[in-house]
Amino acid sequence: MNAGWTATRAWLLMLPLLIVMLSVIGWPFFDTVRLSFTDARLVGTGGDFVGFANYERLFSSRAFRRAFLVTTQFAVVSVLVEVVLGVLVALLLYQNFRGRNVLRALLILPWALPTVVNALLWRLIYNPEYGALNALLVQIGLLDAYRSWLGDPNSALVALIVADAWKNFPLVALISLAALHAVPHDIKAAAIVDGAGALARFRFVILPYLAGPLMVALVLRTIEAFKVFDIIWIMTRGGPANSTRTLSILVYQEAFSFQRAGSGASLALIVTLAITVLAVVYVALIRKSAGAQF
Amino acid sequence: MSTLDLIGVSKSFGRTEVLKTIDISLASGEFLVLLGASGCGKSTIMNIIAGLLSPTSGEIRIDGKRINEVHPKNRDIAMVFQSYALYPNLTVERNIGFGLEMRGVPKTERQAAVLKVARILKIDGMLGRKPAELSGGQRQRVAIGRALVREPKIFLFDEPLSNLDAKLRMEMRAELKRLHRLLGTTVVYVTHDQIEAMTLATRIAVMRDGRIDQIGTPEEIYDRPATAFVAEFVGAPPMNMINAILDANGLRLEESGQRVALTIGADAPREVILGLRPEDLHLADASEEHAIAATVDFAEPTGPTLIVFARHGGNPLVASLPPHLQIAPDSQIRLTFSRKNMHIFDRASGNRIQT
Repeated sequence: MNAGWTATRAWLLMLPLLIVMLSVIGWPFFDTVRLSFTDARLVGTGGDFVGFANYERLFSSRAFRRAFLVTTQFAVVSVLVEVVLGVLVALLLYQNFRGRNVLRALLILPWALPTVVNALLWRLIYNPEYGALNALLVQIGLLDAYRSWLGDPNSALVALIVADAWKNFPLVALISLAALHAVPHDIKAAAIVDGAGALARFRFVILPYLAGPLMVALVLRTIEAFKVFDIIWIMTRGGPANSTRTLSILVYQEAFSFQRAGSGASLALIVTLAITVLAVVYVALIRKSAGAQF
Repeated sequence: MSTLDLIGVSKSFGRTEVLKTIDISLASGEFLVLLGASGCGKSTIMNIIAGLLSPTSGEIRIDGKRINEVHPKNRDIAMVFQSYALYPNLTVERNIGFGLEMRGVPKTERQAAVLKVARILKIDGMLGRKPAELSGGQRQRVAIGRALVREPKIFLFDEPLSNLDAKLRMEMRAELKRLHRLLGTTVVYVTHDQIEAMTLATRIAVMRDGRIDQIGTPEEIYDRPATAFVAEFVGAPPMNMINAILDANGLRLEESGQRVALTIGADAPREVILGLRPEDLHLADASEEHAIAATVDFAEPTGPTLIVFARHGGNPLVASLPPHLQIAPDSQIRLTFSRKNMHIFDRASGNRIQT
């Protein structure tokens, strides 16, 4: 069989997938780029070409800057909490104790729940009239009266981050747990004989094996957190006073609530660009950490 | 330089008893090799001495002091692992110095100690490299260096040469012997390779099923194996084991009915095993009376010797004969041996019967 036919056959085999990809991702993407340079409305007119006007307006708008800040806060803090909590839980579940396997199975639950269910559960927990969190804090005396966690601009974002971290730390924990099992027993034993304490063992023995897989988890979670929509939409819809309005929520409001398709498209592209930059940086980091290992 | 004693040490995992009452007493500077097949409990003994496992019962003493409750890091023991167990993200220098670093030894002092050890092991040119950039033999030297640098009371080696190729293994064996002579530290060394055991040890403990079958010098183990298991395990090719009956007139080989007159005997006939090392068998003259007749299967010239694989009835028989003999497959040969080279074991218990 000659090389030419091998290449042709490869393209032929990929063709169905390519057609699907181009029609559901490629075409909408290019149409979004086109839309972003128009003043099109969601319904009605096709819109006129307005150049970079949409982008200029966005970059000078307070709403965009605020949403960007909220998104960054949400992504950074929730991913940080997830990683720290995930690694700690993985270290705990790595210990040998009775009931370990049951706990390991239970660990998946929050992550396996649909986001909608998770969000509704947390809305119940935060409920200002009969929420479990209020009841707990008042009963142990940390709080004088019930308060509206999601209704207060000062606490809403934190409350969301807690809910999101609770849902997503199991993923980090599972990945870390798998990585922990890959640490060779002999190296751990050698470190003990060498006199390394628990912290030194974590730093010099465990962490090098954890770094690669953890980096992958970090990339996945940051990208997901940066484009977060569902959990926020169900719990606060971006409120109160836009204190939890992330970029995705802003895109939705712009394009669908206010029906400004052109402006919404430009905003969506900016989010896409930001995520792409993040992904490229992370992939470079992963390559570097993978290359540095062993 | 320290003494090491294991007194009645046993270990069970759940219901599985992996060590059954081990007693070992090492004088300062001894090189003890724990020899046995995999799963015989030799690595468990290592881990108990190191403190990575606690014994179910019994006592471990270093210099006469009980150390059962002492944390591994405070036992002043260094261990070398089969997999080298180097820290992959640290340089050779930091790998070797890791134990000192963890003990808070100042950097300049540490560097000097590492350099000294690296010179002894001839790895001083690669201190800046990571383990991944080293060959197997170099990694093994780093692992040994990490143990040496701490100047511990006792060295533990857990099959340290198993991952090396044959030539390198021979070199490192010689190196270890030289190091032991140089440092004089007490060593416990685990291996399943009897050549390593014979060449390195001042004493060998042959282990089976969590027990020590025999403990003694390499010569004692080889020349007077205490059990049939030790006799077969040590020596290559392994000792020939021939079923025989011991009675008042001496030995009668079961396969052929052939008799061997002995000074010892048994009042009632007793089932025994006659053990003969391949190198103790010689081609017999026609005049020789006490010779075993055998049919040749094939012969393997190894250079210094010709290994002949034959059968005495149903019993396989291996003889290590002088080279350049012409021995054809299916030919009949007669093999003789000296009485002093006979080993006789009770067939039921496997224990040696004094001859």
